[in-house]
Amino acid sequence: MVLDTFEALAMLAAIFGILILGTTHLRTNLSFYSLHTTAIAAVTAWIANITHDSHLYLVAAAVFAIKAWVIPYFLNTVIKKIGIGTDSGAFIAAPLSMHLGALLLGLSYVISLQIPGLIGDPDSRIGSTAAMSILFSGVLLMLTRRAAISQIVGFLVIENGIYLFAVTQTHGMPLMVEMGLLLEVLVAVMVAGLLLFNIKKSFEHIDVSQLTELKD
Amino acid sequence: MTLNLHAVLETLGFTATFLLLPPLIVGVIRKTKARFQNRIGAPVLQPYYDLLKLLSKSETISKHTSWIFRSTAAVNLSMLIILAFLAPWTSFRPFDLASDLFLVIYLLALTRFFTVLSALDAGSAFGGFGASREVTLALLVEPSVILCLASLGSVSQSSDLAFVFSFKNMELLNQPGLWFLAGCGLFLASLVELSRMPADDPTTHLELTMVHEAMILENSAANLALVEYSHFLKILILLGISSQCLLHAVPYFWHSTELIRAGASIACILLMAVSIAVIESVAVKLRWTKLPEFIAYSVAMSIFCVFIALGKNLN
Amino acid sequence: MNELLYLMILPAALALISLFLEVKLTRKLVPIVTWWQLAIVAFVLHPCLQGTERMQFASGLAIDKMGTYFILLTTFVVSCCVTHADYFFAAAEAAGDAYADRSLRLFYASVNLFLLAMTTVFLCDNLGYLWIAIEATTLSSAPLVYFERNKFALEATWKYLIVCSVGIAFALLGTVFIFAASQRGTPMEPTLNISELITHAQLLNFPLLRLGFIFCLIGYGTKAGIFPLHTWLPDAHAESPAPASAMLSGALLNCALFGIWKVASIINAAQPHSHVHQLVAVLGTVTVVAASLLLLRQHNFKRLWAYSSVENVGLMVFAIGLGSGPLFFLQALNHSLAKVALFLLTGNIIQASGTKKLNKMHGVIEDCPIWAGLLALAAFAVTGAPPFGAFVAEMSMLSLSMSDGRWILALIMTAAIAISFVAILAHVGKVIFGSGKQGFKSFQPARASIIPAILVLGTLVLGVGLNTEVWSGSWSVIR
Repeated sequence: MVLDTFEALAMLAAIFGILILGTTHLRTNLSFYSLHTTAIAAVTAWIANITHDSHLYLVAAAVFAIKAWVIPYFLNTVIKKIGIGTDSGAFIAAPLSMHLGALLLGLSYVISLQIPGLIGDPDSRIGSTAAMSILFSGVLLMLTRRAAISQIVGFLVIENGIYLFAVTQTHGMPLMVEMGLLLEVLVAVMVAGLLLFNIKKSFEHIDVSQLTELKD
Repeated sequence: MTLNLHAVLETLGFTATFLLLPPLIVGVIRKTKARFQNRIGAPVLQPYYDLLKLLSKSETISKHTSWIFRSTAAVNLSMLIILAFLAPWTSFRPFDLASDLFLVIYLLALTRFFTVLSALDAGSAFGGFGASREVTLALLVEPSVILCLASLGSVSQSSDLAFVFSFKNMELLNQPGLWFLAGCGLFLASLVELSRMPADDPTTHLELTMVHEAMILENSAANLALVEYSHFLKILILLGISSQCLLHAVPYFWHSTELIRAGASIACILLMAVSIAVIESVAVKLRWTKLPEFIAYSVAMSIFCVFIALGKNLN
Repeated sequence: MNELLYLMILPAALALISLFLEVKLTRKLVPIVTWWQLAIVAFVLHPCLQGTERMQFASGLAIDKMGTYFILLTTFVVSCCVTHADYFFAAAEAAGDAYADRSLRLFYASVNLFLLAMTTVFLCDNLGYLWIAIEATTLSSAPLVYFERNKFALEATWKYLIVCSVGIAFALLGTVFIFAASQRGTPMEPTLNISELITHAQLLNFPLLRLGFIFCLIGYGTKAGIFPLHTWLPDAHAESPAPASAMLSGALLNCALFGIWKVASIINAAQPHSHVHQLVAVLGTVTVVAASLLLLRQHNFKRLWAYSSVENVGLMVFAIGLGSGPLFFLQALNHSLAKVALFLLTGNIIQASGTKKLNKMHGVIEDCPIWAGLLALAAFAVTGAPPFGAFVAEMSMLSLSMSDGRWILALIMTAAIAISFVAILAHVGKVIFGSGKQGFKSFQPARASIIPAILVLGTLVLGVGLNTEVWSGSWSVIR
């Protein structure tokens, strides 16, 4: 099994995605997220290089600029302003959830062998493994963390996994759609970030497991 | 047996390297850290002078110690010298000694065993908790080291580290990812094993936090010199192994000449020393309870290695 | 291209203007302009209403008959809600807890963006744009949910934003799968264009298409409030102000369901009788059953209607599972009319009585007979009692599923609808009759009843008007 460069980069992205799980320190999480997204942008650029698709270069640049720079920068400012540096706790201890994420990487390889329609396509296997593993990492992050900001990061990681799947399996969706998606993610993060300020102000914590006022 | 001049020179060069290099590495780390803190710092060769100074001092030994304490320094040094001959810390090795993976790992464990024993032997409180911390850390790091090396061995179908790291193994030729991950995992593990920064601060003697320094508190003079030197040698060997992993990840070195590889090995070790200094300058020492989180990263790397090995062997 | 401009310019301009204009003026201006918007939409899209199959505006933006109906319904619902919102805010002012100008400005700006996003949903002929538009509805309606600016609203908004965004992310994955299906089928230009996908449906890679549909169903289903994924829905509906709840229930849910319908129509064209449709129908039934059981024990007036929305979403999903577009629209239409009336009336009652708790509300009929009567009628309408439109839709659905041989589902569905009927009427009965007055604060029953009355009348007319077709048994019309 010899990996192509873009497959190796995709795997690198998956590994960074798993490393996000390893700590409850929010700024470290964001740095890993930034690296993870940079790897994904590199995958895009590399695929653009293979397919000679000029619009993919544009998408790669936009992904790098928005998701690897602007969003982590914005979330970092939010963290600084609300003054909460670490996740108040995880339902599964952080190291354990990272190892779980690593095991899920293995599981996603097994699953990627089973995706109907992609079975006869060994070229896509590593790409879909990486994408699925990132998806799992994002879900794990959202399920195991308490801090609201980790939920946002989890959402971003899930979105990255889907994006990576699109890039490796279909060599990118139409340009307009990709740009729309990026804009949408940016706005979603901004809105969520603004809500975070208010959550901190009225609840004096950002622990989503304590947001249980509303029930039937 | 014909004595070949070339072989003799090679052996002498190898021996001289591993005997003289360790204090230099520590010197480089200390100098870089000093520059980072805007100090001029001691000269790079200062560790050599320190060792010589220690050798000429007179020794003080606690009355409560037994022969274990006396002999530990010598035992450890000799084991580490054997390890320096066995472990693949450089690309050039004069003899074809079979170095089994488990032999290397357990020799390393044995040196730790004796260090811990001597720390307990002196009977001081510091030695006790230093030893307890050291053993806890070792327990956490051990799986990562074993898994990284074992997955390399499993891919190459051999437990002989000399063969695994010989640049001759075609099975491992196209596995830059595996080598890279193993290198990262081992590097993170060696930071802990060597009691470097996120795990332990080698420059402070604060009794609440120190690990390695607490264990060698009772040693003095020549004894201390030997202990320090053994520790430096251990730094060389562990950094050497992880830097060899990283070198193997670069396709260029698979096809280069011996000389370039040898140069690159030494350069890579020194580079790692610099990077340790950088890490120690920017990072803070982790709280004891946070340490498992750090070690988990190393273990995660080793799990990835195992996956690659599994994928390789199943295909 | 020009038509596109006509359809979008008013909400877009209004969203901008309402941020700067005097709030008193905005409150009057927005309803007027939104009714105008309804007229413009009807005018621009009248070819579609008169039988043109499809209107293409730009690549990836087109509308068909179904979309036209939905766009009219949505604009109508929003117009009703903003018209009523003027009374709602006036009543709040009269009661002494006036809202800050800043939040009102944000409210009106968001409403217009929300309308813009929802209009775009129905204009999309591209799965990618569809996704973007539906996510845009989430983002633009988040400020509406957060309108009250208290802890509860904050929690509801957070849940709404995160649950819906993550849910919708799965719809994106489904979209990617469908794109891959168009790439890996029989050679064709890969596309996300819905009409092209439908025409070439036979060429697509079916396993990938099916996978894509299932993910889209989960994703848009989260947004629509399908049973295990409905958790955000009661919170968001209960904590937002009454006009916003009405819009969420009467317009937003339709958008998400329309997304499911679009994807379902692709898979329908590829393989008309696949198991996927069975899955959708079962999912719809499960949602109806769960919602009707949850309806039994409700303590909050608005949550009651939220769960009733979940039940109706289940019915609409069931209609999609039966593959019947007209039934889906009919159910959506009747639900929207009745539910908007209910939410607006409930808002009035809550404002006047000062409580949302069901067990503290009683004797509305003594306080305000008009509201009590309208509430009873609307409640009948939403549960699908005979003379109303929802009855026609539900009856047709059950008959259709019987004739398709899915009689088990039909039986379960009937039982669940009966349970929810009993549950809702029991709760509403206590509110209307009960013992003693509760002394309403200042309120204007006549002005507050105009919009709900129109809506209730609308669904009644629908019921009576469509009756003949149902009873004559000419299913082909409905199908």
